[in-house]
Amino acid sequence: MRQSTVSPPPRARLALAAPLLAALLLAGCATRPPASDPEAVAEFEQTNDPAEPTNRRLYAVHQGIDSYVLRPVAVGYRAVVPRPVRTGVRNVLGNLRTPVILANDMLQGEPRRAGDTLGRFLINSTLGLGGIFDVAASRFGVRGHAEDYGQTLARWGVGEGPYVFVPVLGPSNPRDLVGFGLGIVSDPLTWFGQGAIVDGLTYGRTGATVVDTREGLIEPLDDLERSSLDSYATLRSVYRQRRAAEIRNDTSRATPSSAGSTGFGVGTGEPR
Amino acid sequence: MQHLDRRGLLGAALLLGAGAIRPARAQTDIGRASAFIQTTGQQLVAAINDQSRDIAARRQRVAGVLRQAVDVDGVGRFIIGRWWRTATPQEQQEYLKLFEETLIRNLSARFGEYQGVRFSLGRTQQRTEDDVLVNTVIERPNSAPFSLDWRVGEIGGQPKVVDVIAEGTSLRLTQRSEYSSVIQRNNGQMAALLQAMRGQIQQLAAREQGR
Repeated sequence: MRQSTVSPPPRARLALAAPLLAALLLAGCATRPPASDPEAVAEFEQTNDPAEPTNRRLYAVHQGIDSYVLRPVAVGYRAVVPRPVRTGVRNVLGNLRTPVILANDMLQGEPRRAGDTLGRFLINSTLGLGGIFDVAASRFGVRGHAEDYGQTLARWGVGEGPYVFVPVLGPSNPRDLVGFGLGIVSDPLTWFGQGAIVDGLTYGRTGATVVDTREGLIEPLDDLERSSLDSYATLRSVYRQRRAAEIRNDTSRATPSSAGSTGFGVGTGEPR
Repeated sequence: MQHLDRRGLLGAALLLGAGAIRPARAQTDIGRASAFIQTTGQQLVAAINDQSRDIAARRQRVAGVLRQAVDVDGVGRFIIGRWWRTATPQEQQEYLKLFEETLIRNLSARFGEYQGVRFSLGRTQQRTEDDVLVNTVIERPNSAPFSLDWRVGEIGGQPKVVDVIAEGTSLRLTQRSEYSSVIQRNNGQMAALLQAMRGQIQQLAAREQGR
């Protein structure tokens, strides 16, 4: 008899994306301003959000999930788990991401950055006890950086496409969503082993990534919520500007860079 | 009719490039701009770390430095963009007043929390024809250093801050899309933005009291 009970985590994770894409196809569209108002048209094009009404609805859904689940869990995590442990968790998650970062360093033709990433992986996986300690940064001065397929596609000249807001994943666009999928598919750990324990670890890693990411964003998002008259519009603008800076490799470490190809994120395992 | 023509003309000018309709502005000297940021930064750091005063007094001092250093009206005009011309003169005036209050309160509340902050000049570069981007590195106890770029322009013969850029995110671009979105979603009514700004200032004031 064929073994058919093994649940496939990679496919399960990819399946997440399907209803979201469906929602997008059914998207309500924003009205394009009339051609007689060139300034309004210019702004409409610059904002790059033709599906704004749908995106705003999805944003409201996300806000609900965030205020009842994501943020409280992140706050609880910070309150209960001591800082050194949280740093260790972030370091491990960052270390697990390095194969994908390395692939993208190489796909972008950045041998120096690829060397940094490879060196960090080797040092932190061994001397850093499986990635718990970021020895590469603290002892050898090699800091981590994030890189993903969305950025690689951008470097290859693929346009971002219209802005998209995806609940839980956050702000994105078709290019970065494709990058997000590629990030999962190309991650060796996605395909490594099978069985209940491996599945458990995969889900555990996904859960930990979500909680760790949200924990790192408690202050920035609280701040944004408090100071913006329209947090949807502010987040859209911030995401697109930050993404452009990430693609240019023009960021330092103040704000966490994206963990995946899309949305919010804590990238390399660097503590804030 | 005349009104329509003027709008069309301005629109065309905008399409031709922002440089074309900008009032002639002297080119900013890099050395002068970074010296200006150095001085302003030192004043800010001194105000923030002044232990002899309470938080309200410190915030006052920070606000004073910012009023001197930032081209508040210019930034306000940039942010409101195309909606400026459809606003009545009263609305324009009130907007600039509310904008100054929002900006100064927001920034001084933000900087006021940076206890023990240190800053240093990073690489400096000329980015556009008129403005200089001055890079600084901000260090705070218990957090990773981060870089902050100050866009400095020459306004009325004086160097002034016209934008602050943190991690690739420009304050004035972000706020421009925020304000424009508020106006658009209220059928192009500037009054709606002004009302929202008034509410926000009340909240900020209440928060300052709470400290």
